[in-house]
Amino acid sequence: MTAYLLAIGIVALIYCLLALGLNLQFGLTGLVNFGVVAFFAVGAYTSGLLSLQGVPLPLSFAAAAVLAGLLALPIGLLSLRLRDDYLAIVTLGFSEAVRITIQQESWLTQGVQGLPGLPKLFASWGPVSDAAIFAVLLGAVALVAWGTVRLTGSPFGRLLKAIGDDEAALSALGKDPARFKVQVFMLGAALAGLAGAFYAHFITFITPEQFIPLITFYVWMGLIMGGAGSVRGAIFGSLLLMVFLEGSRFAKDWVPGVSEVGMASLRLAAVGLALILITLYRPHGLWGGGKSQ
Amino acid sequence: MMLSVETVTRQFGGFKAVDGVSLQLAEREILGIAGTNGAGKSTLFAAIAGQQPADAGRIRFDGHDITRLPPYRRARLGLVRTFQVPREFKSLSVHQNLLAAAANPQGERLLNAFVRTRSLREHEEQLVAKADGILQFLNLTRVRDKLAGGLSGGQKKLVELGRVLMLDPRCILLDEPFAGVNPVLIDEICERVRELHARGIAFIVIEHHLQALKALSQRMIVMDRGSILAEGDPHTVLDDPRVQEAYMGGVA
Amino acid sequence: MTWIEFANLLINGLIEGLVVALPALAMTLVMGVNRFPNAASGDLLTTGAYAAVAVQWLLGWPLWAAALLGAVITAGVSAGAYRLIFRKLAGRPMVASMLAAIGLGFLLRSLISFFAGHDQRTFDLPLVRAWNFGGVRLLPTDLVIAALAAACLAGVFVLIYRTSFGRQLRAVADSADLARASGIRAGGLMISLWLLVGALSAVGGVLLGMKAVVTPDMGWESLIPAFAAMVLGGIGSPVGAVLGALLLGVVQELAVPLLGPSYKLVLAFAVLAGVLLLRPAGLMGRVQLVR
Repeated sequence: MTAYLLAIGIVALIYCLLALGLNLQFGLTGLVNFGVVAFFAVGAYTSGLLSLQGVPLPLSFAAAAVLAGLLALPIGLLSLRLRDDYLAIVTLGFSEAVRITIQQESWLTQGVQGLPGLPKLFASWGPVSDAAIFAVLLGAVALVAWGTVRLTGSPFGRLLKAIGDDEAALSALGKDPARFKVQVFMLGAALAGLAGAFYAHFITFITPEQFIPLITFYVWMGLIMGGAGSVRGAIFGSLLLMVFLEGSRFAKDWVPGVSEVGMASLRLAAVGLALILITLYRPHGLWGGGKSQ
Repeated sequence: MMLSVETVTRQFGGFKAVDGVSLQLAEREILGIAGTNGAGKSTLFAAIAGQQPADAGRIRFDGHDITRLPPYRRARLGLVRTFQVPREFKSLSVHQNLLAAAANPQGERLLNAFVRTRSLREHEEQLVAKADGILQFLNLTRVRDKLAGGLSGGQKKLVELGRVLMLDPRCILLDEPFAGVNPVLIDEICERVRELHARGIAFIVIEHHLQALKALSQRMIVMDRGSILAEGDPHTVLDDPRVQEAYMGGVA
Repeated sequence: MTWIEFANLLINGLIEGLVVALPALAMTLVMGVNRFPNAASGDLLTTGAYAAVAVQWLLGWPLWAAALLGAVITAGVSAGAYRLIFRKLAGRPMVASMLAAIGLGFLLRSLISFFAGHDQRTFDLPLVRAWNFGGVRLLPTDLVIAALAAACLAGVFVLIYRTSFGRQLRAVADSADLARASGIRAGGLMISLWLLVGALSAVGGVLLGMKAVVTPDMGWESLIPAFAAMVLGGIGSPVGAVLGALLLGVVQELAVPLLGPSYKLVLAFAVLAGVLLLRPAGLMGRVQLVR
């Protein structure tokens, strides 16, 4: 039982990191990033590949965050020229392009076969390794949460909120939003990359199929359920998300005669329905921070 | 000449919202712009301030050619504007709205969210004091920490004014400062503008509220359908027969 | 590359382009009128294909009849989605509509895969030999697909440019306020639009199913290309959507010897990003809509 709870807890914390990153991008600054999973994937594969080459985990984790952040630079620059909806589709397309590239360039990534046998975090700790992972992740999330709160209260954070409220008005006051948007995009992406590294070295076997847009929209769902724009909302939402996802896993027991694959379809249907219902009936969750576009 | 607008045109497809308009603004002058709906007044402001750059013509401010500059560069030169429909930062408090406007390049670095040196803190304190001073000047101290999104229309306009004042501007473009504002507040806004003018700031004011505009302006321009119809003393220009016809007889 | 290879790729590209033109056109119509990209377009396409499959399977109708009924069903789904979801989200920030569209897409796709499974299906089409003109090959079925697509597009164009419905639609696309002021009743117009969008996407789905295979992911995989085609052609321009789709289709095919077939989507994305960066208005659109 504890093993199971620890496992869900770890996944929940990984989603927390993803949500905190998206919260910086969308919750504060209003950037509609539909490509979260791309940076998650890059983080996972970077750390995975480096660790297979013998690079110690702390370094590969750092590389994962840095590379994911750097990958966000061209997208961030692109975001400067794009309105919400175009940015959304472009980031969505970007995440699929990343996934396909990972899948195709098998000389590097072993393609569809994926990367099995990744070193697990704290593997040498034996039976308590999961507990250790949970503890470290908890610390990481706490640190990132603290950092985000600190950032939000700072002059930089103030500008992010101003940009999210009314970019043109800020521009008319002598400040170019561009630099800030790019930076926050990269920061959020780096967090997603870090989350990817944790993910890779927890489940120890990653394939391109795991990094589909559905993951991005899990994160969005969680963020909106908890309330975009606040750290508390991001974390709370991720927990709600886990309850939802795990709960639907148990639903299989109530729905007789449904296969694993069928269950996956029903799960997707539930997510789709949830997204529709949330946007219809919990609008405040979408702009807890006061976005007004 | 502080601001020189030379045959500026701004068009959408074939339609010329601003058609070869020229005007000059001297140092410390208050220029009023009146005109029918759709005369192109706000579009002219957008061309001067940069939100909608001119398609033809030239604009000079303080000796610089600003025709092609992005809005934030023009603001940094001292040319600022407010908006017809107030664009306050809804999720920030009134005080934070002003702080967001203040020039603080060092403090606004990402790194400096975590590393707060003493000089940065001192600079922040100066800005806080400056913002408080402006809030007091505008009689907004009561709502200092209230979320700007929750204010009345008139108060939001004052917040916008407060924000641009944080930039120590040379010239302020006020786009319908009295629209949707209750009469008591209108008088107060007029008073503030006069006081700021006395301190050396030039103004261009677009307004439909002709009484207030006449009282405030030193010189007035009337626009109609993208062009300047008449120009001159506020108290006489409105009696110009062409202006009368445009306002009364013509299509608004 | 030899001329023959070029010709074959060109022909295939044009045909694929014609098929993508349908969802691209559907998307540009919604974009112009409702002002948000309908991310469910792809899954409406899938719905249309599977609806036709279901009708064939349940009622044994010939493909053309099944396709028509499938289009009617999908039109209903589309209009229903507008009425129940997107109309309510009209005044809200665009993110809401986009997320709801994504959610709708998930819902449609998952219900389809739940009931019909993930296996590839094909329509029952007669097996015909390709015509061979000295190395340049053309499948008769492909020609039929192209002709049907062209006919469908032509029909929609007649609708847009020669009927009062189309005129009102274009008025609303130009300016919702102006349209309202001139007395156009938006409500019924919107429903009709979304019926059209659903039907158009459905036909696209059937044609794509005829050209390739029917899978639950087929529409989703067409989403980015459709979007790229719309942007390339110019957002809000129906003619642009078709031209963009044709151009994109050809470019994608011509790139296959270089990049391999799997990278088509990546190329579509690259075109999308490139156009938005370099010439946001696309071939025939208006710049203001992008920023």
